[in-house]
Amino acid sequence: MNSESTPTPLSTLSPTSSDAASPNLQVRFKSENGRLLLLLPPEGEQNSLSLTWTDVWQQLKQRLNAGDRFWQPNTSVHLIGRDRLLDARQLQAVVDLLAESQLYLKRVYTSRRQTAVAAATTGISVEQQPSVSPLTPPAESQSPLADPLYLQTTVRSGMEVRHTGTLVILGDVNPGGSVIADGDILVWGSLRGVAHAGASGNGRCMIMALRLEPTQLRIGGQVARAPETPPAQYQPEVAYISESGIRITKSTDISRLRSYLSDL
Amino acid sequence: MSRVIVVTSGKGGVGKTTTTANLGMALAQRGRKVAVIDADFGLRNLDLLLGLENRIVYTAVEVLAGECRLEQALVKDKRHPNLVLLPAAQNRTKDAVTPDQMKQLVQELSNNRDYVLVDCPAGIEMGFQNATVAATEALIVTTPEIAAVRDADRVVGLLEASDIRKQHLIVNRLRPAMVQEDLMMSVKDVQEILAIPLIGVVPDDERVIISTNKGEPIVLAQKLTLAGLALDNIARRLDGEDIPFLDLTATHDDLFSRLRRMFRGTS
Ligand SMILES: Nc1ncnc2c1ncn2[C@@H]1O[C@H](COP(=O)(O)OP(=O)(O)OP(=O)(O)O)[C@@H](O)[C@H]1O
Ligand SMILES: [Mg+2]
Repeated sequence: MNSESTPTPLSTLSPTSSDAASPNLQVRFKSENGRLLLLLPPEGEQNSLSLTWTDVWQQLKQRLNAGDRFWQPNTSVHLIGRDRLLDARQLQAVVDLLAESQLYLKRVYTSRRQTAVAAATTGISVEQQPSVSPLTPPAESQSPLADPLYLQTTVRSGMEVRHTGTLVILGDVNPGGSVIADGDILVWGSLRGVAHAGASGNGRCMIMALRLEPTQLRIGGQVARAPETPPAQYQPEVAYISESGIRITKSTDISRLRSYLSDL
Repeated sequence: MSRVIVVTSGKGGVGKTTTTANLGMALAQRGRKVAVIDADFGLRNLDLLLGLENRIVYTAVEVLAGECRLEQALVKDKRHPNLVLLPAAQNRTKDAVTPDQMKQLVQELSNNRDYVLVDCPAGIEMGFQNATVAATEALIVTTPEIAAVRDADRVVGLLEASDIRKQHLIVNRLRPAMVQEDLMMSVKDVQEILAIPLIGVVPDDERVIISTNKGEPIVLAQKLTLAGLALDNIARRLDGEDIPFLDLTATHDDLFSRLRRMFRGTS
């Protein structure tokens, strides 16, 4: 019996240039050589697209909450502030927030003099760097995929989670919420919002969910709506690109799929 | 310690003010000391629903401007003196007050009171921030409609991000007959999306509108209607009582199917 279904294809996306992802970078944590780095998205030119402090703050909280179970107490955090202007009050807020998760801010790296001064007055050790530094590779979005990002959270309406690697959500993605990843997307819950896997163009990425009833699916450059008639019964499913566009199949068929995908 | 609860929804017109007025009144009836704050600057309604419009002398804005003391601006309810209203200014916009000022007001107001209920304006802009800044809990009001639920979900997320974790859901204006015919989202459908604990379901009832127009909260009626009972039950649950949920379908079908449901255990 064929359990596959074909969602309604929509337009084809114009190819996303690889650095188009950079204004979309979000706050993230990364461990590197035994240190925990907290990377803030660059401020860039004063354009309307760059994240405001409120956005950054909300993302930081979100990431801290969503990773709650994994923080080791007393881990030191290195804040990679890039070209972001941070004042003393904002830095102190970050210190306090990290402390709630028993993380402590050890050092701030910044390319902005004002931020460096603010950090020093707040009593945080600081290192001012030229805008391009080994810790902040500007070509991050072109580099191979970032480590998978694992978040335990409900992605609610209005929330958007982006990641330059594979994204795992332990929770639901609600209508109005969106998850966008350069790699695969796994939702251990219901996917009801929008998901875009392979966002920088990789059409071999997949979207998996325990319950797949999305508003819209995107893989690489293709867009599809979920089938009009919802299945009688939900089961874990996988969406992938076939010759005929985005298809959905039972997740138990994934092994068949893997050989298919490697033949592509 | 007093509880500061914001009544919010995202979408407009779903019943925030109605809920605030009725819960405030019901809690006062139970002997609690309650303050209700209208945080809907420029579009104030709460005074009307409580029938207190003609008693307003000062508003929150005059208190903040130092033109009067907080106590002078508070309007005592004529039926239950342990309920007071802090009115919003009608001639100002939502930017007339900052979150810091609002926080200070609410904190002062919460002294010696069991509950402070904040009636939040629709939307998620400045007015929303003002209304939520001092809250430690939230009541999320939604109607069983896709758009209202979507906005409620947004608000739940924003509140979580500002560390207001204690949130309860009120589904307002439910029409059980429509749900039975699959023409309206059920409470379960709503809960499946929002995933926060349910504290009450209020049926759609034109007598709610009548009571609104009269300035007499429906929980004051001698003989409570189903909607009045539902609101009163929410106040009791809020106050820590364990009250079973009403069977709202009861008025719409016969005894026979009620019994059937009972035996299936799905009331
Ligand atoms: N359970 C109900 N049954 C019938 N009508 C209701 C019910 N609840 C509220 N209403 C009516 O819906 C209308 C809007 O209610 P209300 O003013 O409380 O909403 P609100 O969320 O405060 O609106 P706003 O966003 O404009 O502040 C009013 O006319 C009110 O009488
Ligand atoms: Mg209102």
